[in-house]
Amino acid sequence: MSHQVENDTRLKGSRWWKEVGWKHILAVVVIAFCVFPLLYVLSASLSPGGTLTGSATLFSEVSGENYVELVNTNFPRWMLHSLVVSTATAVGTIVMGAAAAYAFSRFRFVGRRGGLTALLIIQMFPQMLAFVAIFLLLLTLRDIYPFLGLGELMGLIAVYLGGALGANTFLMYGFFNTIPKELDEAAKIDGATHAQIFWGVVMRLVTPILAVVGLLSFVATYGEFILARIVLASPENYTLAVGLYVWASDERNAPWSVFAAGAVLAAIPIILLFMYLQKYIVGGLTAGGVKG
Amino acid sequence: MSDTAEKERTGAPQLSHARDFSRPGFYVKLVLMALVNAFGIFGILASLPGDDWPVLIFLAVTLVIANYVYFSKRSIPAKYLMPGLVFLAVYQLYVMGNTAYVAFTNYGDGHNDAKQPAITQILKTSDRRVEGTDTFPVTILERNDQLSFAIVRDGEPRIGTQEQPLQDASDAMVDGDRVTEVPGYEVLSLGDIQSRQNDVLDLRVSLSDDPDDGWLRTDNGTLSYIAKSSLTYDEEADAFTSPDGKVYAADPDRGLFVADDGTTLTPGWRVLVGVDNFSAMFTDARLSGPFFKIMLWTFAFAILSVLTTFALGLGLATIFNDPRVKGRVIYRALFILPYAFPGFLAALVWKGMLNRQFGIINQTLLGGADINWLGDGNLAKLSILGVNLWLGFPYMFLVCTGALQSIPGELSEAAIMDGAGPFKRFRSVTLPLLLVSVAPLLIASFAFNFNNFSLIYMLTGGGPNFPGSPIIVGDTDILISMVYSVAFESGVKQYGLASAMSIVIFVIVGVISWLGFRQTRKLEEIM
Amino acid sequence: MRKHFLALAAAGLALTLTACGDSATPETSDPPAGDTPGTETSAPMEDAGTLSIWMDENRIDAFTALGENFKTATGISLDIIEKPTEDVKTDFITQVPTGEGPDLIVGANDWVGDLSNNGVIAPLELGAKLDGMSEPAVKGFTLDGNLYGVPYAVENLALVRNNALATDTPATFDELIEQGKASGAQFPVIIQQGDAGDAYHLYPIQTSFGAPVFTTDDSGEYTGELGMAGEEGVAFAEYIKKLADEGILSASIGGDQANQAFMDGKSPYMITGPWNIPAFEEAGLDFAAMPVPSAGGEPARPFLGVQGVYLSSQSEQALLANQFLDYMATAEAQDTLYEESRRTPALEESANAVDDPILEGFGEAGVDGDPLPAIPEMGAVWTFWGAAELSIVDGSAADPATAWNTMITNIQGEI
Repeated sequence: MSHQVENDTRLKGSRWWKEVGWKHILAVVVIAFCVFPLLYVLSASLSPGGTLTGSATLFSEVSGENYVELVNTNFPRWMLHSLVVSTATAVGTIVMGAAAAYAFSRFRFVGRRGGLTALLIIQMFPQMLAFVAIFLLLLTLRDIYPFLGLGELMGLIAVYLGGALGANTFLMYGFFNTIPKELDEAAKIDGATHAQIFWGVVMRLVTPILAVVGLLSFVATYGEFILARIVLASPENYTLAVGLYVWASDERNAPWSVFAAGAVLAAIPIILLFMYLQKYIVGGLTAGGVKG
Repeated sequence: MSDTAEKERTGAPQLSHARDFSRPGFYVKLVLMALVNAFGIFGILASLPGDDWPVLIFLAVTLVIANYVYFSKRSIPAKYLMPGLVFLAVYQLYVMGNTAYVAFTNYGDGHNDAKQPAITQILKTSDRRVEGTDTFPVTILERNDQLSFAIVRDGEPRIGTQEQPLQDASDAMVDGDRVTEVPGYEVLSLGDIQSRQNDVLDLRVSLSDDPDDGWLRTDNGTLSYIAKSSLTYDEEADAFTSPDGKVYAADPDRGLFVADDGTTLTPGWRVLVGVDNFSAMFTDARLSGPFFKIMLWTFAFAILSVLTTFALGLGLATIFNDPRVKGRVIYRALFILPYAFPGFLAALVWKGMLNRQFGIINQTLLGGADINWLGDGNLAKLSILGVNLWLGFPYMFLVCTGALQSIPGELSEAAIMDGAGPFKRFRSVTLPLLLVSVAPLLIASFAFNFNNFSLIYMLTGGGPNFPGSPIIVGDTDILISMVYSVAFESGVKQYGLASAMSIVIFVIVGVISWLGFRQTRKLEEIM
Repeated sequence: MRKHFLALAAAGLALTLTACGDSATPETSDPPAGDTPGTETSAPMEDAGTLSIWMDENRIDAFTALGENFKTATGISLDIIEKPTEDVKTDFITQVPTGEGPDLIVGANDWVGDLSNNGVIAPLELGAKLDGMSEPAVKGFTLDGNLYGVPYAVENLALVRNNALATDTPATFDELIEQGKASGAQFPVIIQQGDAGDAYHLYPIQTSFGAPVFTTDDSGEYTGELGMAGEEGVAFAEYIKKLADEGILSASIGGDQANQAFMDGKSPYMITGPWNIPAFEEAGLDFAAMPVPSAGGEPARPFLGVQGVYLSSQSEQALLANQFLDYMATAEAQDTLYEESRRTPALEESANAVDDPILEGFGEAGVDGDPLPAIPEMGAVWTFWGAAELSIVDGSAADPATAWNTMITNIQGEI
């Protein structure tokens, strides 16, 4: 597939417009839609004072002082916490989710269908009141395993991992099903155990979906503040999302400009991560793997 | 193919790490399981001293299952499922169970704690200073482990304990209005007082044998005052009595102390109230009025949100899954920008942009138009869907981009050979294949939007409100935000009622999703 | 690929471990208050104990300064814990029963009803120290004869004037509107509303019609009876309609928009509170604060919000906490808090010492102010009240009088 496509990049003139050119125009339109509201945030982050949404004028003043000010807050610390928690949660979700998807995809056992459906339906429980239960749970856990209790990043990661099996498992399950079972069978005949097939054969072939799930999990964790603010009781422990939420929570006195600068910086890791993972998500690994 | 037949095929004896000592995997497993066991046993030991029986039992059972699962050569699927399921049980099922339990209680404002704290609190608030009396600098003394107060009253030093009312202590040394020393007693230093602060705070020294005179107490260890209680608690009768003889008896069904004339004492305590919260939902006339309108919009909102975000996400994923488009790495990264910003921030910004008088959309983009984006019922619904499209399409874009990789290129090539155009190719090959792995996510997304409280709350607050309605709900309210209005926004939080409502909503969403799954199963079988 | 994946996992694990070590350090060096009774007795003045106190971000600086002074004076340290503004009260109510709550909490006086209804705050006895406090401040924290908080600052709305656009202010609101129109500015006066309505910012105008939210008894305490029912209330409702028709009130003027418009010089006047002083100063405005002119004939009385400190009913250090509360009532403490928060102190001695023309203007505007009502049902009152006013403003209610009377019925149903 790839070599055939290479030739087409030499398209010229009207055919180029018809097949490729319009896509650039579309991309620009979509990007404008995506970026436009965020210009507000960028504008507010560069303005020394003032409100976030009070006016329709953008970039009336430009100064970097809000970004400098961030350094004197807990912001760098929050950023580190967010990266740690999100990375750990993403890795945990990938491993546990992929393992579950492998089981659902490759083995037949009682309750397989029902279990799969139940996983997803459980995640639909409205979490509006979860804060009471989570708080009580972590209170109990703290007495037994202090590092899983309130105010601990590990505790928060564990809470997030509670949601590791769910929609993500489904996504992986669907993808795993497209990996031909013949590959497993061949490996089995070669004397591989089920664990070796999982780690050595299947996991190699599903990289795109692992990257997607990892990213989804990372982003979801990175932006989550409802559970995090229950678990992380004090500002020194906050993650970015909680910290920013706290800044914005008092409409009257919110430090909007610093807040906006924080939000802009907060988005950067996600963008970088996505750009880095893109080659795994859309790379030709699958095709190569199946053929090889 | 039936499950039993499948099992016979794949369940045939396999080599397992557990049996094959020659492989390094076995030792990895051994180490991991040793850690797991250490962790579990540590937890069991730690929960022994407290009476954490549920925790202890859970740990023990889990540990036994884990050891069985990983050392038996059967139950191979369980080996892969167990880690995720343990987290699921602790952090999700427990939360559900707890919410279900709360749904059967009257937990909420006014019924915030157990009975004993409620009694203590009532006693505390009724034990107050007698108006117009003086305060006395107090010295706290100790003899034979018993605490006493010493004060100077009417120029004379006096001393008393919990049992012994104030009496003259002529041998005491006095400095001004404070007793400095009493022979036979030890004066407590500030540090001593702090270390016994609860004893000091609880100490009541009667002024005389007549209880109507009141008693001395202190709040800070340095100053005392004369107080009297307006209520006495009788443990036998489980009732409070006021000086004028009014009796407030405990009502275990309502979790309140109630007098015959219906007046109650605050606070009350938590009790099980059976299905009261559930029946309240159906008997509350305030709910039945707007209920169907809101239900309809909830469905419309959830379905349309899924369709619009999926359509845009899938469209973009397909279009830019084309290596001929130069710069698509950058394009894709910018497409997910809305996803990279905190959601509540986006809602705030959109709210500002959609402002009728000052927003940039009316002011600049539409050249000073006067469109009431958030104040008109239909436009507000449109605005919500638009903002949710902005927020949600990057997710669908990512998912679809990933899922497209699972579609073998051979199929598309075959379709090209058959002479199918790009649109037909997409519809008859790509889309059905994609739906197999993505359909469950669409159902999950439906469920998520069904309960997408934060978006509604941040963007419109449910408004524009139905004018004059007895609960504050409006055109854009969905079921979960109506729950919030009913159970919380009246200022009195009713966690019991809110839990009951969440459960009902969960049942609705769960049943619909389950029906949806049955459809997707058919889809899968076709493939 | 697989190697790479494992490396990622290992890196994640390593990061996790370091972060845990990191976050655990402050925990161990600063043990939770109350768990170490032994250490307190050995060195009373050096380390006389630690009190935990919750507050939102805006008060942190003021209380950090206060905490240092208090530590010097008594040896007791304050462990200040910052909470999101909207979580402080809710978390306090849910966590006190579990024993996880703090000893003290800083908040506004309108929490009294809710907190006492849940049994999470303890009554206080300040004795003679109360005498020096301003009366509305004390009244704001009193419920059923019990005092529940030590007040430290009072804040209220006032009319703020942009001196560049107007210099003398007329005595009635109608004249003020005329003057504002004549000034040529876009708005004659700005009163923020937003999409949920804002009864708080309209209250000075409402009281000038003689329609307070609740009637008061002889001692000035609120009765549970609505004072805004009846023809005075309806007259005010009609006046809202008039203001809306003039373009003064609008759902699209929320807090952000109002501030921005005033700072951009789009209006000579704005009804707002002292929390906006720093922003206006930063924007370089020349402005003054004064009482709101009457619209309905009677004096305009804004709500008085009182800031204070509550004591948890389950504090295990009530004795230490009471020492802190005693200290809060001293002029030294109130002066410190004033310097950092710039709100009129609740202690009259400190309030009189304040030399700040703008704050004095706010003080003057709040002389006859009503304390924010503290009954637990106030939440329902606010929502119905704001929603009804908004429906008049945006025209969704055709007749102001009907909308107002429906609101009265709904509020009475809720109380």
